Amino acid sequence: MSKWECLVCGYIYDPEVGDPDGGVEPGTAWEDVPDDWLCPECGAGKDMFEEMS
Amino acid sequence: MRLVIIGNGVAGVTTARNVADRKASIEVHLYTKEPYAYYPRPRLIDYISGKLSVENLPQYDDAWYQARGIDVHLSQQAMAVDPQARKVAFADGHKEIYDSLVLATGSRAWVPPIQGAHLQGVHTLRCLDDAHALCRQAEQGEPFLILGGGLLGLDTAMALRSYGVDVTVVELLPRLLPRQLDVEGAALLQQAIEARGVRVITGDACSEIEGDAQVHGARLGSGRFLPAGVVLISAGVRPKIDLAQEAGLTCHLGVVVDERMLTSAPAIYAVGDTAEFNGRVWGIIPAALAQARVAGAQITGQTDVAYQDVVPSTTLQVTGIDLTSVGEVNPEAGDYQEVRFLDEAAQIYKKLVIRENRVVGAILLGSRSDLAAVNQLVSRGIDVTEVQDQLLEPDFDLGAFVRRASARSA
Ligand SMILES: Cc1cc2nc3c(=O)[nH]c(=O)nc-3n(C[C@H](O)[C@H](O)[C@H](O)COP(=O)(O)OP(=O)(O)OC[C@H]3O[C@@H](n4cnc5c(N)ncnc54)[C@H](O)[C@@H]3O)c2cc1C
Ligand SMILES: [Fe+2]
Repeated sequence: MSKWECLVCGYIYDPEVGDPDGGVEPGTAWEDVPDDWLCPECGAGKDMFEEMS
Repeated sequence: MRLVIIGNGVAGVTTARNVADRKASIEVHLYTKEPYAYYPRPRLIDYISGKLSVENLPQYDDAWYQARGIDVHLSQQAMAVDPQARKVAFADGHKEIYDSLVLATGSRAWVPPIQGAHLQGVHTLRCLDDAHALCRQAEQGEPFLILGGGLLGLDTAMALRSYGVDVTVVELLPRLLPRQLDVEGAALLQQAIEARGVRVITGDACSEIEGDAQVHGARLGSGRFLPAGVVLISAGVRPKIDLAQEAGLTCHLGVVVDERMLTSAPAIYAVGDTAEFNGRVWGIIPAALAQARVAGAQITGQTDVAYQDVVPSTTLQVTGIDLTSVGEVNPEAGDYQEVRFLDEAAQIYKKLVIRENRVVGAILLGSRSDLAAVNQLVSRGIDVTEVQDQLLEPDFDLGAFVRRASARSA
């Protein structure tokens, strides 16, 4: 599963870690993160993230 | 078509990105007076606390701009806009012609008219150079006085503690974060901050900053004198509207825009901290992003995309103190109910404000466990009638309720 980076602040979403505080269980692939989930660092939405190569 | 953007903060750079991603045929020229490529301002707190090195602060490098065909011009200050001739004049004397112009000039730290505010050792924090200056002072071990107990003042206070310097925060109002917290929440937060070595004085204001050339301290309204080697004024921000104002654009607090982000002048847009929509200036990143999205769409011809105000949600970044405040937390009038939960021993306080069966505001202090569910309750406008009294009970599964309710309405 690939990691995704917030283009606004650089926060990295790692599926292995998830974002438990934000309601995303560890092991959740990016595609399954809810559409209204927000970057925990800066509040940006999912559309501001880019897949890391 | 030629698009000129003034400002390389989150609003300007996101507008540029949105345009470049949609239409390669638009020439994008992005100007900033700062000598740095885009860096996220919240990260300045991590830089001050030593969590982030300065090399890792910029979010984009030259290659990022290049890959998107965005022409970025650093260290270039715009001095004047001529809406008739569609021209911008810069400090180095050159002029740029535009078909569309975006004003993304952000805001500046507001300095109230206090005597002594010009003294050496008096600072504000808005940009990287300001942060450098603060760090240099903190390295000297000078005691800090922070005027203003808002989010920025508190975040900075805690970050400065990493240098081991004395930090005192003075807040004019009787409690901290009056916009984001209620009385109970503010009292708990103050305890948590004091427990981390920051002195907090509320209900007293600085009447004069004293010193000769160099600041020695501040005199408060109560007559009390607080010695300090550095004074950081953190009294809020004001939109930078001078360019727009001098060009004759309608401005109140900010540059007035409509739901297309258009100002009163043709082909001139304003986004981010500088823009005023519906009489309001947010001064936060989520609003800047939403506005940049609309401006980007409008400029690339998607004229049906309109801006709607966001629900403000703010989070204190301080490590070890979890605080989130969403929407309307101090309801003033009308029909509303409040649901609260307090565990004083564990320093946890939660409150939901409910209007017409829907959660319109929330405070979560000392715990982030319900954060996602609460955000969704507000943003999805979920009807909570049947469970209203249980919402904050420790054994109630808020997340499961939100999932069930969302599935029902989907
Ligand atoms: C330390 C700190 C922490 C923060 N933390 C948070 C947070 O956690 N969450 C949050 O939502 N918000 C936070 N904010 C607020 C947030 O940074 C702003 O809302 C955001 O930066 C606004 O973006 P902007 O692009 O509108 O303006 P800015 O970021 O201020 O950018 C404006 C740009 O325009 C340039 N400019 C201005 N005038 C001219 C000119 N005449 N010519 C050329 N260039 C010009 C400036 O140099 C600057 O690059 C924080 C702010 C600070 C300072
Ligand atoms: Fe982010």
